[in-house]
Amino acid sequence: MSRNSAQMPGNQNEAEEAPKRGFFNRRKSEPLLPEAGAGGAPLTAVIAVISFLAVLAMAAVLIINAAAQDWTASLRSEITVQIKGANTAEIEAGSAAAMRILNETDGVIDAVLRSQEDTAALLEPWLGQANASAFLNVPALIEVKVSLELRGDLELLRNRLAAAAPGATLDNHAGWHGRLTTAARSGQALAFTVFLLVMGAACAISSFAARAGLAANHEIVSVLHLVGATDDFIAREVQRRFFLLGLRGALAGLATALIALTLIGVVARTNVGTDSFLPQFTLGGWMFLWLATVPLVTCFVTALTARLTVLKALREQY
Amino acid sequence: MIVEFKNASLSYGDDRETLSDLNMALGEGEFRFLTGPSGAGKTSLLKMIYLALRPTKGDFSLFGENAMDAPREALPALRRRIGVVFQEFRLLDHLTAFENVALPMKVAGINQNQYREDVSELLNWVDLGDRMDAKPATLSGGEKQRVALARALVSKPDLILADEPTGNVDPAMSERIMKLFIELNKLGAAVIVATHDLHMVQSLGKPVLRISDGKLSRAPGSGGAA
Repeated sequence: MSRNSAQMPGNQNEAEEAPKRGFFNRRKSEPLLPEAGAGGAPLTAVIAVISFLAVLAMAAVLIINAAAQDWTASLRSEITVQIKGANTAEIEAGSAAAMRILNETDGVIDAVLRSQEDTAALLEPWLGQANASAFLNVPALIEVKVSLELRGDLELLRNRLAAAAPGATLDNHAGWHGRLTTAARSGQALAFTVFLLVMGAACAISSFAARAGLAANHEIVSVLHLVGATDDFIAREVQRRFFLLGLRGALAGLATALIALTLIGVVARTNVGTDSFLPQFTLGGWMFLWLATVPLVTCFVTALTARLTVLKALREQY
Repeated sequence: MIVEFKNASLSYGDDRETLSDLNMALGEGEFRFLTGPSGAGKTSLLKMIYLALRPTKGDFSLFGENAMDAPREALPALRRRIGVVFQEFRLLDHLTAFENVALPMKVAGINQNQYREDVSELLNWVDLGDRMDAKPATLSGGEKQRVALARALVSKPDLILADEPTGNVDPAMSERIMKLFIELNKLGAAVIVATHDLHMVQSLGKPVLRISDGKLSRAPGSGGAA
């Protein structure tokens, strides 16, 4: 049969009467799968909750990362020299010798000898407000800021200090640094695990909704097949529908999470100076950009899961 | 051959064969009426031809290709060459008449600008030019029948299958639809029309196949071969 025959047989006059549709009154295409069949409002609400939790989990990853960097940055650039001695004179002589060595060393940015009072104050949590230096030979402490190059190899400085002041020991805070880094990484891993679990929940919900939608639209899917639709065409229709539903829900979840994070940020800032557990943070540009990717990831995960589910179900059932 | 069955049988999961030892050949530009009592297997035969079912035994080819073993991926291309008017219409309720008719073009990935005129023309031809935006729920049985007819013809198929296409329309529209099938047949489309309307069958003088008790045979006095 000719595929170029533009008019039906015997229908020339009626064809001329066909309504002409211009640019502004062209028909808006209805989606081939009705909205109710793909979960609709309940699915959007569930994805909003999932997106909310995913954004919070991602925010936790970013905030812990930023806090850990702040905590460890000072530890990376500072070392402490401690000078012990049998008496005050010996400690003072050792301190002077150590200061001389430090001031001569390339890579030492600053070296400050803490006063006896400052050092004794550090012992107050354990010894109370008694004058510890009156009955103890409290070691002298020198706080030293060093370059990263010197920080990378402290052995020479350690040996020179030991030679000049036999009671001197050098602490590079490696233990603290290691423990803080481990704690921060554990926190990040935990938050990221929560993020992955939430994405897993998105997959499960999407898969369930896609199968339910397919079952609800069984007749439509059959007709689409019979008029020549491929499985991929039907899966694309479902994927498009889930992406739009997911986008709507994910943006709602993002907006709610940003409000919650802003409030948490305000609370954290008002507790500055107290013993607040909350780290300081603001929703800056880079953090906002990272969080804005979460709804996109959620949409992508939701739509891709729906597509794969539908392709599998079509092969199994049709 | 457009359609060819050789010793084909169909059963629905039990031992009883709904259609048995089916032998049939339909060439390009040929026309067949398919008659028989209700439940004899007319719809099952049409379902096999439009690939909703496959024979459980025998050989079946469509457009010269082996349809018995055709992979799933090959079916859509074969189905796009077939226009089907279903007995129960099978329109999509959430789409308008226009969108239902345009469905085969849409699934084939054709841009709306390319088929808008054809769809409008077809709907005008079946007297539904003023009902293009109507949903099936608001259409009468006859109007639904005509939308289903337009959907079957819009892609200018090589094979037209119609299951009781005149069952819900008035005599004038019925005659018009049958004339359309004959015109399309003259243009080269192969046509199979399943019907109970023996008066119409006799008046058009086209070859007739009869199904009875799951067996297909050429009706007595009918031209052509099964």
